[in-house]
Amino acid sequence: MTDGYVQQPGSSKDVRVDGKRVAGKMSFNPPGSGGSRPEMAERDLDFIPEVEGGREAQPAGHHLHDKYRTGTTVGKRTPLVDGNAKVTGQAWYGDDVRLANEIIGRIVRSPHHYAKVKSIDTSKAEALPGVLAVSTGADAPQRFGVLPVTKDEHAMAVEKVRHVGDLVACVAAIDEATAREAAALIEVEYEVLDAVHDPKKGLLDVDDPIHWRGQYHIGSTNVQKRVFQEFGDRSKLEQARATHHGKWKFMGVNHGFTEPHAVVAHWDPNGRLQLYTPQQVPHYAHRALATVLDVPMHQVNVIRTFVGGGFGGKSDPFPHEMCAAILARKAGRPVRITFDREEVFWVNRGRHPSHIEVQLFADDDARISGFEIDALIDGGGFASFGHVTSYYNGVLATAPYELGSFHYTGARVWTNKPASGAMRGHGAVNTRCAIEVGMDDLAEKLQVDPIDLRLANLLPPHSKTITGFRITSNGMRQALERVREGSDWDSKFRQLPLGKGIGIGCGFFISGSGLPIHWDPNKFPHATVHIQIDMDGGVTVHTGAADIGQGSTTAVAQVVAEVLALPLEMIHVRSHESDTSPVDLGSYSSRVTFMNANAAITAALDVREQLLDAASEILDVPAKLLILNDRRIYNKKDPAVGTSYLQALHKSQEDKGALIASGAYRTPPMGGVHKGAAAGLAPAYSFSAYVAEVEVDVDTGLIKCTDVWAAHDCGKALNPLAVEGQIIGSCHMGLGQVLSEQMVYGRTGHLQNPNLLDYKIPSVHEMPNVTPIIIESCDPEGPFGAKEAGEGPLLPILPAVVNAVYDAIGIRVNDLPLTPDKVWAAISKKMKREDIADAQDLPVPRIDFSELQAKIAKRSTEHNDRDGRRQRSEDTDPYINGVLFGFDPSIPPEDQDGDWKISVRPDSGQLESLGLAGSAWTKIEQRKMEDGK
Amino acid sequence: MVGEEHVSMIPIAPNNVWRAKVNGRAQEILAPSNAILLDVLRDKVGCLGVKRGCDMGTCGCCAVLIDGEPRLSCLTMANECVGSDIISVEGLSNGAHLAPIQQCFAECGGSQCGFCTPGFLISSQALLDKNSNPTDSEIATAIEGNLCRCTGYQQIIQSIQSAAAIHRGDESPAKPASDAHSDPHPSGPE
Repeated sequence: MTDGYVQQPGSSKDVRVDGKRVAGKMSFNPPGSGGSRPEMAERDLDFIPEVEGGREAQPAGHHLHDKYRTGTTVGKRTPLVDGNAKVTGQAWYGDDVRLANEIIGRIVRSPHHYAKVKSIDTSKAEALPGVLAVSTGADAPQRFGVLPVTKDEHAMAVEKVRHVGDLVACVAAIDEATAREAAALIEVEYEVLDAVHDPKKGLLDVDDPIHWRGQYHIGSTNVQKRVFQEFGDRSKLEQARATHHGKWKFMGVNHGFTEPHAVVAHWDPNGRLQLYTPQQVPHYAHRALATVLDVPMHQVNVIRTFVGGGFGGKSDPFPHEMCAAILARKAGRPVRITFDREEVFWVNRGRHPSHIEVQLFADDDARISGFEIDALIDGGGFASFGHVTSYYNGVLATAPYELGSFHYTGARVWTNKPASGAMRGHGAVNTRCAIEVGMDDLAEKLQVDPIDLRLANLLPPHSKTITGFRITSNGMRQALERVREGSDWDSKFRQLPLGKGIGIGCGFFISGSGLPIHWDPNKFPHATVHIQIDMDGGVTVHTGAADIGQGSTTAVAQVVAEVLALPLEMIHVRSHESDTSPVDLGSYSSRVTFMNANAAITAALDVREQLLDAASEILDVPAKLLILNDRRIYNKKDPAVGTSYLQALHKSQEDKGALIASGAYRTPPMGGVHKGAAAGLAPAYSFSAYVAEVEVDVDTGLIKCTDVWAAHDCGKALNPLAVEGQIIGSCHMGLGQVLSEQMVYGRTGHLQNPNLLDYKIPSVHEMPNVTPIIIESCDPEGPFGAKEAGEGPLLPILPAVVNAVYDAIGIRVNDLPLTPDKVWAAISKKMKREDIADAQDLPVPRIDFSELQAKIAKRSTEHNDRDGRRQRSEDTDPYINGVLFGFDPSIPPEDQDGDWKISVRPDSGQLESLGLAGSAWTKIEQRKMEDGK
Repeated sequence: MVGEEHVSMIPIAPNNVWRAKVNGRAQEILAPSNAILLDVLRDKVGCLGVKRGCDMGTCGCCAVLIDGEPRLSCLTMANECVGSDIISVEGLSNGAHLAPIQQCFAECGGSQCGFCTPGFLISSQALLDKNSNPTDSEIATAIEGNLCRCTGYQQIIQSIQSAAAIHRGDESPAKPASDAHSDPHPSGPE
């Protein structure tokens, strides 16, 4: 229809009587004029907010980005843009990278828990025909680690091995059989040292701590990090009406991603390293590689392959990545290293095995007067993310409830196990379970409904937690109400027969870490996105965000498509190579959608403005009157006046070629000033509430979770299909931890189940029927209002199941996972204690509401109004944790109450009364000792 | 090791010619007589869509159809299937057109990270070949040998159900959300 390239459709030479130019008519029929072609469709008003004239309801208020919604893709169930590659087997994961002339690398691993490496003899391996390179720790003396403050790893052992499976040496040979054989020919002489397996023993002074941190070492213990935090007024705890005391044991859990680690390293003819690796955080691997290999960063190109599941387990820079690079440099050929499943368990970085003790207090008004948490976490052989985990175990319990006081002592100790690290719900999962079960118990003791107890103690939207975290949008209340309604809670709770139970749990998680891990003293953004559009009209988006299956590539493509009103197929995301991708901090702390999509929107808005300016010039219509719709731009008042996207694009490209735009995101300044104030800070937080229903076989102790109603506040579901997938997937992973998954270390400290047969990931038969419920609280700073949906949804499932088990059999088991043997042991113990002959006669908990029930129901109704007004920004008064206890929100509580404390070090008088992890504070740092050791 | 002959720890098996039909194409491949089918498919035939997740039959990522039956290629000796008709994920689609099961996995959220997807597709296709009207519980039995760590299986079951509907002819394959070959410069009606 178009006659070649038309810059100004219609007759632009026509001049009206008043001298104004007549705008060109479109060379095709205007939107809404009927016809089957997609670009003739009107804007999809169902996905345009009410405030912009659409039909999308906005109960949580308006958003800054509302005016850029075009009804294209945001909010629609969108298949992943790389889905077709995955279903055809064309997605290329780590081991699928096959370069010409490649050779195979193998790692030699320690058979000892803890030993000095006295000597390594590689001569036999080197002499084996087919072996092309051998390397040991001497080749790479530089330390690295994901956190700059705790660089304690080497590519291969230098001096010591710290756990069974720790790297000692590596070889590369023409094929796998030869490489395996060469690995076995490497002779290592060890001097075995006394290993530490029990984290409690890690608190004690020993002769040979697993790492030595010089003047910062705490005594001569294996304590890697200790945290003390005290906020609020603890003097009122003695008058509590109800208290809960829970002592928990959590086993270590592995990510269990299906793709084992694999890496391919290749030094190209120009001497640059091309490293292919399934990394969640390519940028930190990039930094660590440059350090360890002693080359400038720009000489390394990290190519992220497709990632076959991450969940935190592929976010550290890994020693095997260094090994592959070292071997490839020595051999002069590309080296591929692929792990066995067993090796995946030796690398681990899974959830910390933990001993957690919590005390919860409720006062006469059923307010939460205090949380006391003590968490001893078992870090294994290396620091990994442990510095952060140590904080998260406490500080991420400070919401969604308003607290009278908060007291946390935490310690992370090194033990001779594979290192623990970050795993989905990093640091928050175990404590959250203990806290939420505590809330259930408090409700039981107060004889009130546990959902109402929660509803009456929630922090409102736009408030501050007791530790100073800035909460923006908050959909906790709606989440609780929706699961209560969905599960028919009121007719089930404490009314089901023996063996059937229902339970509630809540969650709270960061949506992007406020502080980047590498906090260079400059103001680097957290995420940067470049957009480039050449004459063909295709939009190339360069981002460093690592898609690990969660759909970050799709999310970025979606927001760009939305702003530019282009079909998703015209957006091409390039995110694999560090050479072409701007620095992005990676896929961790649930930051990608929030930060990266924000950066993408900024860049897309720049392009949008250039297009609108061009269209304005073509049409002689002011830019503010122009509307973007599917591949066309037209006058809002007269849709017949318009131009096509390509015409506007070509106009804007005159004299400069491709349109280029860049957008970046950095978190706003926020948070307190106390030590550790940055840990747990985030630009937004997600909230969730789950109700789980279980069946417990009282004769065998077998638990079956049958139904879950899972409400998650993700701000705005950019892609509800993906959000639901994240919610259901989180349920699966959390259910594994609460019912069956555990890394079992035997009496000698040896990991007994490093395979997927003995490490019990729930199969399809163990999955309950999950009803995902999306809550949209419209976060003011999120992209189109979105917050995270990847990690937060995991948190509530654990306590919901544990609480449901109590509802079913009247027993709380505080030792995860709740395997049948533990549950049955608890049942038979109770039967013995209460002299019950038949398990079928076990008493079931029932509730008889106290006078407090009416009181808290009234309070939650009042708060419901308050929260609605705050959410819609009708009430913008400041709100801080403490208002519920009578404090004035405009004055810091410490200035209002002499007993209100903010303390990050224990007083000398407190030392004796601290818990297990708190006892780490009785040790003195080396630099504070008078005479050295 | 001067003066002594090296004895390999792993017995080196002689190379045989391995013959089978893979994805409709006859293959003649020189492979050790003790080769594992997974290795032959990945390293020699080039079917990199067949994934190695555990090497011991616990994850199902390496499943392929051998003469129509779903089998774990990591537990199958290549020699066991000489002369067989092997279909891997690469052989499911009809030319450039995705098989219904592939399309539904992509569109219904059946695939997140995608690593387990080839194995699930094989197990599901084997089910649908025999039963185009499966119950959820029959689907669960068909995919019980496949582990997925991302999806929690629910969207996988939905994907298989919607593929079954296409197999039955209840519904035509869903149209893609928009034109796969978007014209950036739409012209008027023809």
